[in-house]
Amino acid sequence: MSAVTVPRRIADDTVSVSQAEHTYRSRARWHRVRVHLAQFAVLFVVLAGWQLYVAGDPLKIILYGDPSGIYTQLKVWITDGTSIGSLGDQIKVTLEEAVIGFVIGTVLGVVCGVALGRIRILAEVFSPYIKVLNSIPRIVLGSVFVLAFGLGIESKILLVIVLVFFGVFFNAFQGVREVDRNLIANATILGGSRWQVTRHVVLPSAFTWIIASLHVSFGFALIGAIVGEFLGGTEGLGELIKIAQGSFNANGVWAAMVIMGVVALTAEWGITRLERRLLRWRPPQLAGPEL
Amino acid sequence: METPRQLLQDQSRPTVPAIELAAVTKRFTTPGGARYTALMDLSLDVAPGEFCAVVGPTGCGKSTTLTLVSGLERASSGSVKVHGEEVKGIPPGIGFMFQTDAVLPWKSVLDNVATGPRFRGVPKKKANDAARDWVRRVGLAGFEDRFPHQLSGGMRKRVALAQSLINEPKILLMDEPFGALDVQTRAIMSNELLQLWDLTRPSVVFVTHDLEEAIALADKVVVLTAGPGGTVKASFDIDLPRPRVVQEIRFEAHFVDLYQQIWEALKSEVDVAYAQTTQAGRGADS
Repeated sequence: MSAVTVPRRIADDTVSVSQAEHTYRSRARWHRVRVHLAQFAVLFVVLAGWQLYVAGDPLKIILYGDPSGIYTQLKVWITDGTSIGSLGDQIKVTLEEAVIGFVIGTVLGVVCGVALGRIRILAEVFSPYIKVLNSIPRIVLGSVFVLAFGLGIESKILLVIVLVFFGVFFNAFQGVREVDRNLIANATILGGSRWQVTRHVVLPSAFTWIIASLHVSFGFALIGAIVGEFLGGTEGLGELIKIAQGSFNANGVWAAMVIMGVVALTAEWGITRLERRLLRWRPPQLAGPEL
Repeated sequence: METPRQLLQDQSRPTVPAIELAAVTKRFTTPGGARYTALMDLSLDVAPGEFCAVVGPTGCGKSTTLTLVSGLERASSGSVKVHGEEVKGIPPGIGFMFQTDAVLPWKSVLDNVATGPRFRGVPKKKANDAARDWVRRVGLAGFEDRFPHQLSGGMRKRVALAQSLINEPKILLMDEPFGALDVQTRAIMSNELLQLWDLTRPSVVFVTHDLEEAIALADKVVVLTAGPGGTVKASFDIDLPRPRVVQEIRFEAHFVDLYQQIWEALKSEVDVAYAQTTQAGRGADS
């Protein structure tokens, strides 16, 4: 009986629900359009203000650059290539350094963080060293790496690894220590070995922490790659910026920054996708705008 | 004819309890560095297949008793035996249902239930088949692919129950498992617990602060004294016939008798515990 009545009630409801749903959807769409318009207006005001401020003053254009000049610079780079080769090659080199270093740094960070979080004696032995290493400004290591490993890709990757590692490491470590004790006790009683508990309870639980650190870490990876190229290199976006700076080409510096912004946003988008996929077991997040 | 065989039987059958706590004391060091005695000289036996409920006021060490039996904690002194063997580490054949949700939030219902067998090395397909069986048995058929956050509190308890029972434990420890549920759901869950218990008849230690629940479920109700230093005050056999219907059994005259007897024992302990908390509160105020 109930099996018959229940679907009918749902069917009745769906008629009125679909109407309410419709007005709700169109209102939500209108809201999105207005937000996009406002976003566009903000960008327009900033760029137009900049353009007007420097307009007609060659000195200001040289010092600060201007939006139309940046656009022209980008067009030249894309169509004619840069002074050190095609633009695509430069992006590829920088991205290669950043991504390889990011992956290695993340894996190392997760492994070390989980190991130290799970094995007390390791944490006790290594904690002073980690604190010392974390407190020094690690970007300086870039110079060491360039001296030791030369102008090639290796020195940049090492710098990226060093920058990425600590952020991921500390989050993984903290994530492991925040795991619900009851979950661990439950899994242990169900028959889980230490490794099984780590694999099925600790890692998934710490993942919320780890993935949060990846957003920041990829930014660090790009910084590491660019600074590495600054410190000593022959190609890449950092080299482009260095050349532009050396020749008083402010527009060149800005244009390289625009490219990096696009790269960073794309990576951010990818990480958010990954996050959604891996954390789909979580209840929907709190309501409110996302950033 | 007094044959040696008979003697041996008489000795071996009833004298090896499933759980045997003898003069157990448990002390903790509090985060402040002070010593706290949770249990003092506690002795308790649970026979194979017996359903034992433990009641007592807040903070009397009910849950501590369970952690000692499960091997999650060690006794400071005294002996804890499971099936006649001293507990070192987690004894085989034990199930534990926690007060809070302890199902893994990142695993689906089916994967959660299959966790035990998978940990014990059962091949995936076989474990999943067994899990599907248990999911059905606890009334969650059709919810195999849901994540725990998509279920109600009562449904999550069912998952936890299936997760424990799939390992076919000889001993099931339950720490106020239905405490967070509303009264109706709780009665339904209690009933289902009794039915499932009847299938394999493990020994159960069921910790609760609800005396009605304790009497309705158990063969034996043990009253603990107020903490610190909780110990067994009295033990009552519940000779109500089985199978029982939890929602209705409380109307029986014998149930009311038992309730009055046990409440006599429990009342003074509850008063002591309450006086302690209010005194502590007053001490903090002044």
